[in-house]
Amino acid sequence: MSNLINTKHILSIMVDNEPGVLARVVGLFSGRGYNIESLSVSEVDSDKFLSRVTIVTSGTKIIVDQIKAQLKKLIPVHDLIDITELDSFIGKELILIKLNVKSITKKGFEDVIHKTKTNILFDKGNEVIIQFSGSPSEIRSLLNKLKPFKIIEQTRSGLVSMALGTKYIKK
Amino acid sequence: MTKITGAKVVIETLIQENVEVIFGYPGGAVLPIYDEIFKQKKIRHILVRHEQAAVHAAEGYARSTGKVGVVLVTSGPGATNTVTGLTDAMMDSIPIVCITGQVPTHMIGNDAFQEADIVGITRPCTKHNYLVKDVTKLAGVIHSAFNICINGRPGPVLVDIPKDIQTFKTVYKGKKAYKDNRYYKPKVKPDDEKINEIVKLMTESSKPIFYVGGGVINSGTKASKELFKLIKKTSFPCTQTLMGLGAFPTSDNQFIGMLGMHGTYEANHSMHKSDLLLCVGARFDDRITGKVSGFSPKSKKVHMDIDPSSFNKSVNVDVMVQGDLYRILSAINNRIEEKKIIFSKNKIKKWWIQIDKWRSRNCLRYKNSKEIIKPQFALERLNKLTEKLNPFITTEVGQHQMWAAQFLSFNKPKHWMTSGGLGTMGYGLPAAMGVQIAHPKELVIDVAGEASILMNIQEMSTIKQYKLPVKIFILNNHYMGMVKQWQELLHGNRLSESYMESLPDFVKLAESFGASGIQVLKPNDLDEAINEMISIKGPVICDVVVDPNENCFPMIPSGSTHDQMLLGPNDKVDGEISEEGMILV
Ligand SMILES: Cc1cc2nc3c(=O)[nH]c(=O)nc-3n(C[C@H](O)[C@H](O)[C@H](O)COP(=O)(O)OP(=O)(O)OC[C@H]3O[C@@H](n4cnc5c(N)ncnc54)[C@H](O)[C@@H]3O)c2cc1C
Ligand SMILES: Cc1ncc(C[n+]2csc(CCOP(=O)(O)OP(=O)(O)O)c2C)c(N)n1
Ligand SMILES: [Mg+2]
Repeated sequence: MSNLINTKHILSIMVDNEPGVLARVVGLFSGRGYNIESLSVSEVDSDKFLSRVTIVTSGTKIIVDQIKAQLKKLIPVHDLIDITELDSFIGKELILIKLNVKSITKKGFEDVIHKTKTNILFDKGNEVIIQFSGSPSEIRSLLNKLKPFKIIEQTRSGLVSMALGTKYIKK
Repeated sequence: MTKITGAKVVIETLIQENVEVIFGYPGGAVLPIYDEIFKQKKIRHILVRHEQAAVHAAEGYARSTGKVGVVLVTSGPGATNTVTGLTDAMMDSIPIVCITGQVPTHMIGNDAFQEADIVGITRPCTKHNYLVKDVTKLAGVIHSAFNICINGRPGPVLVDIPKDIQTFKTVYKGKKAYKDNRYYKPKVKPDDEKINEIVKLMTESSKPIFYVGGGVINSGTKASKELFKLIKKTSFPCTQTLMGLGAFPTSDNQFIGMLGMHGTYEANHSMHKSDLLLCVGARFDDRITGKVSGFSPKSKKVHMDIDPSSFNKSVNVDVMVQGDLYRILSAINNRIEEKKIIFSKNKIKKWWIQIDKWRSRNCLRYKNSKEIIKPQFALERLNKLTEKLNPFITTEVGQHQMWAAQFLSFNKPKHWMTSGGLGTMGYGLPAAMGVQIAHPKELVIDVAGEASILMNIQEMSTIKQYKLPVKIFILNNHYMGMVKQWQELLHGNRLSESYMESLPDFVKLAESFGASGIQVLKPNDLDEAINEMISIKGPVICDVVVDPNENCFPMIPSGSTHDQMLLGPNDKVDGEISEEGMILV
């Protein structure tokens, strides 16, 4: 039964960019026991003081419907679309990786960088910082390819996502 | 335009919102607002004795009038004391605006004296809340708070105002100038196709039932009238939740009693066997459904509610209709008239015969006594002797609350105030004050337990100050009866900490607050005591000493289904209560 299967959902939410708005959204998830797999938020309209929040969550259909209904009840929420329910969409993340690349291995490393269209932001001595943006699976595949090299640290943005076609989020 | 202070803006906006009464308690962070209260005559301030009571009083005021209840308290402890009241209002959908003082803006975050992050604390227990950091936004925020708290599904809204904002000056342009919440427009008009679908299901059903909840009370007296018309037209049976009592008159023969954990045998069995469940403004609470997987297994379910997050929350329904109940019910009535539909009594004749069979079990019967007052008997007499006066009833929480729901009549909406969702002991006395303020000439009775009444007993002082003729009818069983009942049923009769030691002398307690006190010990003296209580012009505490061993039946033990009810003390739970059931509240 589809009612019992957990599925992943990308929710895009237009909210007033005011103090505490993120606490309302996040507090709703923690207070009601829903999970957040990824979260990203930033202002998208500085005249109207609007921010766009993208949340990746998962649950059964009933739970996800409940999450959406609860989010829509928050007063600063203007609109919410469930991107995963639309025909097609784009979802991207950004990752920064700092590596320690010894000269012997540098050749293999440059190969990976070249093939994956990764940008080198910083390169001095053995320390290299690279930037890549792509879908979560593209990022996973890049990280796999970098396994032979020593990753010192990495940081990832949450997923940002947009539907193709004519379904726009309302302001 | 002349500039006025933020504190004055507060008063002006409240006047524009037609506020007549504020329930509050002063302190350092709201002194400028209290100064403005002192200088004006349009709004009455009721000084409570604890901020929790201010919220409950405002709830009683709101629930009995349909207006917004307004609360004003200081920062820090004043604000944190409102949290239980706000949570109560949130759970029971009561429109409240709560204004709190806050430390000056430049000190916020410094652990200043009497600073509490009340906006953070109350985020999950308010419908919305605000911290006002700009005096020019203050009026807009307060008007929005009123708009939000009463439209859609009602609930509490808190406005936190730092002290400096109360003293800064700004212009106030009148209510119409502030529309910053244009986009808060909950859907109130139901979709036409849904109405057709419901009417069709109603004509096809042979075992229908109306399951009516607090949403009808929220929607107003007009909604109750439409509901009455519909129920009469269809001849369908009707059950009501604890929060819904009075939406449809409980003395009517089509009313088959409250449903749920302490509901009647006939109501719960009808729910279980029904083929069409018409949920009118109720929310499938766990006190109603029992074990969800066994809840009304054969019925088509229609859910009418203004809040889409109520749909499919615990029980899957077949038809969901979003809208205000007055609009939904009148649309259904109109459709039936347009289509000239006549509901045949024949079609549901067998259903009524079955229901009457269940009814004949007489599940609320109890064994009366000549020696000791049975709590059920006390309420039956209270009902008989006050029914004509159409009293407003409030309750505390416990067995007495359930017995009040079972044994009193509620023939008009907005006459029954009880803490359903949160189950807050100490709700009834302050709520009764709020009701009495709104209806100074009417009879207002708080049906109380001796344990609950002590939780806000300080309000006797408020009652004295404002000469509120509230009647407190204590069913004194010397126990936290409801706790004891669960301990008997689930914990091998080990009555851990549920005995009420060292109770006060309630008669002397009443007298010390300038009220009258009556104690009754014998069934024969009951009528006289009740009559005396009603005839006294001022406040009365009537301490009715009842049988400590009486328990509240029927009862569906937690984790069971509607057809597994215990009807009396001799009924045993079928086997052990499951572990699953034991952990439920
Ligand atoms: C000790 C104890 C025992 C209890 N036992 C029982 C019991 O046996 N039986 C029982 O029934 N309850 C019992 N309760 C109460 C129970 O916990 C719930 O509070 C109650 O059942 C909820 O009532 P309701 O479903 O009518 O919903 P409410 O809480 O009144 O909610 C109203 C619903 O209507 C909707 N609504 C609001 N306004 C409108 C509008 N204008 N138009 C359309 N929809 C609207 C809301 O969105 C909401 O979904 C007990 C409580 C206590 C403390
Ligand atoms: C504030 C609060 N604390 C604890 C409880 C748990 N509780 C529910 S009923 C009850 C006992 C109430 O006793 P009393 O007021 O004497 O009523 P009775 O059940 O005896 O009629 C308790 C402790 C509660 N509902 N509210
Ligand atoms: Mg008691």
